[in-house]
Amino acid sequence: MPAWLEDLYWTYQNVVTALGVNGLLALSMYVVLAAGQLSLGQAAFMGLGAYSSALMTLWFGWPFWLVLPAACAAPVAFALAVGGPTLRLSGVYLAIATIGLGEVLRAVYLNVDALGGALGLSGIPEQASPLLIFSVLGVALAVLWLVGRSGAGRAMEALREDATAAQSMGIDVRRVRLVVLVASAVLAGLAGALSAHATDFIGPNDFGFEPAVTILSFALLGGIGSPFAPVLGAWVLTLLPELLRGFADLRLVLDGVVIVLAVLFLPRGLLSWRMPRRAA
Amino acid sequence: MRRRTAIAVALALALPAHARAAESVPVGAVEILSGPNSAYGIAIKAGLDLALAAINGKGVLGGRPIALTVEDSGGTKDGAINAARKLIGRDKVVAIIGPTLSNEMFAVGPVTNGRGVPTIGTSTTAKGITDIGPFIFRTSLPEADVVPVTLRKAIARGVKTIALLYANDDAFSKSGFDSMKAAAEAAGLSIIDIESFGSKDTDFSAQLTKIKALKPDAVAISALVEPVSGVLLQARQLGFGKETLFIGGNGANSPKLGQIAGAAADGLLVGSPWFIAKPDKLNQAFVAAFRAAYGKDPDQFAAQAYDTLFILAEAIDRAGAATPEKIRDALLATDHTGPLGPFRFTDHRDPASTEGVVVLEMRGGVFGIAE
Amino acid sequence: MLAQQLVNGVLLGATYALFALGFTLMFGVLRVINLVYGFYFTAGAFLALWLTEAGISLALALPLAAIGAGAIAVVVDGLLLTRLRRAKADELSSLMVTLGAVLALYAGMTAWLGPDIRRLPPGLVGAGALDLLGVRVTVAQVLILAASGVLVGGLLWLVRGTRLGLAIRAMAEKPDAAALMGIDTARLAALVSFVSGALAGAGGVLIGLNFNAIHPYMGEAMMLRGFVVVIVGGLGDIVGALLAGLLLGIVEVLTAGYLASGLKEAVGFAILVLVLWTRPAGLFGRAGVARA
Repeated sequence: MPAWLEDLYWTYQNVVTALGVNGLLALSMYVVLAAGQLSLGQAAFMGLGAYSSALMTLWFGWPFWLVLPAACAAPVAFALAVGGPTLRLSGVYLAIATIGLGEVLRAVYLNVDALGGALGLSGIPEQASPLLIFSVLGVALAVLWLVGRSGAGRAMEALREDATAAQSMGIDVRRVRLVVLVASAVLAGLAGALSAHATDFIGPNDFGFEPAVTILSFALLGGIGSPFAPVLGAWVLTLLPELLRGFADLRLVLDGVVIVLAVLFLPRGLLSWRMPRRAA
Repeated sequence: MRRRTAIAVALALALPAHARAAESVPVGAVEILSGPNSAYGIAIKAGLDLALAAINGKGVLGGRPIALTVEDSGGTKDGAINAARKLIGRDKVVAIIGPTLSNEMFAVGPVTNGRGVPTIGTSTTAKGITDIGPFIFRTSLPEADVVPVTLRKAIARGVKTIALLYANDDAFSKSGFDSMKAAAEAAGLSIIDIESFGSKDTDFSAQLTKIKALKPDAVAISALVEPVSGVLLQARQLGFGKETLFIGGNGANSPKLGQIAGAAADGLLVGSPWFIAKPDKLNQAFVAAFRAAYGKDPDQFAAQAYDTLFILAEAIDRAGAATPEKIRDALLATDHTGPLGPFRFTDHRDPASTEGVVVLEMRGGVFGIAE
Repeated sequence: MLAQQLVNGVLLGATYALFALGFTLMFGVLRVINLVYGFYFTAGAFLALWLTEAGISLALALPLAAIGAGAIAVVVDGLLLTRLRRAKADELSSLMVTLGAVLALYAGMTAWLGPDIRRLPPGLVGAGALDLLGVRVTVAQVLILAASGVLVGGLLWLVRGTRLGLAIRAMAEKPDAAALMGIDTARLAALVSFVSGALAGAGGVLIGLNFNAIHPYMGEAMMLRGFVVVIVGGLGDIVGALLAGLLLGIVEVLTAGYLASGLKEAVGFAILVLVLWTRPAGLFGRAGVARA
């Protein structure tokens, strides 16, 4: 690669990484929203994935090809543990409950000294290249695309439109919701592990209320007609601060205004195209 | 006509060779210029700009001006990393000053160190900053060096028991607390209680009531200036009086403490590497210049940033070339005297001496030397 | 020490309840999660700051600031929420649009006024404190308790004792039926916005006075606690908000004082989650809630 191209890539490497990671997080939001659940636990799952993977690397020295899948264990366990009582809630209550759970986890990270407390964990070796991150994102997109086109996808959409009707048609509502929550946990956990091994340093404040809401805004901006839509939303919202770099103070203002305009004028998101489904 | 154009073009091409003698040396800074913690970054930038104007009167390396680019990190980890990468990758800076917060340095340090660009923190006081790598320096005295000096003063006033209070959700405050605890133990003080709170908390009544019931001689607070002010205000509301000595960490070392807490802050002790009324000529010249340029008083952050840019300029001169490697080696040989007094680096790239540390006491909203 | 801690808890709880009053009203009546509420809180505090710095007494500045905040609320809520209400959008949309708006508003305010903390001019209320039976309470804190009581009482009277309140309750239960009965829902929504905003503004002044800190992001910190109070107390339940606020304050203080101060922030969320798992209609169980 010519020197100037290498430099350009190096300059924006963190942005590229963020595009991949945020894409995965957007997908973790997509799966729950597609089934009609407003769960905002993605940041919490991401935190569990990030912390557990960092500890596996730093304490046990496991190789990354083992750490990455193993990082999904903690988020999935947490999803199964809280899924039961939490999934009985709906709408805003579910959202608030998941935010509350995320804050409780954050308190754990802060108060347990072995996890570094406020200082977080640093010195995590850089093992997640953008290539790896985008490969994982690509696989996730492919899987979700195929699932969405199948009967399972139809069940999810039925659930989203009208849960009672879906139940009466024989769809096991509770099971679908739990599966979807676990899928969300896996995706966010992977995102957390990859992110931790790309930026060397994680702290409790990376996984609280604000990140959770940011992830929601990805799906809100992009839409949920297909798996590509929230990823597009994630990319727009990741690039926006960089493009607005010259505007310092106004940057946050513009971020907020973008969200407002998107909700008011693009209720179906940027990419309202809906996936075609295989005939029944 | 074409010939004249050719001559004009030739002249134009030849000119840069002459202009190159005045080609600037690119230096970068990553600071928080927007969002909740921007007060620190803005103060630092003010110090840097003032120093830049003074340095560029003469230039470095025989008349070359320093071109300083300050990027806003927005106070976020990603923002800091992106800012640093842009400075190195696109602006090709030979050194970086900052970032503002210890948290940011932990994220940015590995990146800049990996590219071999010397990075100097002017306001990062947590433990382990310079452990990140051989290109990471800091001119800010770690809390671990300042707190023992403050405690010695407290002990001289008869303090034997102490309670510790700190913000547990920010790296600077937590690290400051670790230093306070270690220093208190080393000094033989009896730590009778440890309490914590969140940086955004506004109510500390539970913790303060508990501490008051235990009647310690002193209470040490490790947090940024807003929570420290809140603690002091509420402490006075709950009836803490002159019998309890309050001690602050580096976060309390700001004129904002007097502005926000007012009379509640009277009697607070804090150790500082710098003090606005330090009587030496260099400091007074700096303070006067700052007041003239900005119409307000400098704080410790501005003073340290100002000093650091001079230290960097001298290192560039010593290196003889605007290459990061040579600048790094030259930095190690720093022997500089500025508004903060004499300055050298240790082999581990931390400030070498604590002789400049003074213990200050808040009186009537302003800091004075503690007796 | 227990007595002082209990008093601390009650005082802290009163600030939480004060903050949550307008929020629960908005949520309960208009079914809107209005995150801009935190901004009206901040706006009220700043209005009072400017008024008192210009020499106006607190007794006058407080109501003026509240009215000002209410007016701002009518305008901003109107801009953001009218469209959504007409389209009968779900609660998620109101959450997001108000979230985006409040981000922009906080950032804009910081850009305009700077992030520094300001204090109200000293000596607005007597600086004295009362020492009763070994418990210390300042004049400002007594003021907050009294104000909370007055505001709760006033709000209850409005909602339960007036025709206007009846219309509000009708709209809360069945908006379509209310419209059919001739209730001007748009004007009523504006009125609810005003009352909610005014309550937020009043809360901002009193809380800013108590903690002696006014800055653009002050509403944000209270917002998460506001969620806890509103959910635990039951949506739209005014007395519930008061009781839940007091409960939260006391539990937080006792946790910090007798267990570990590091847990203080998390205990509220733990209670929130437990309540949602067991009694999502709130501890006092009077609001209805959609269950899956």
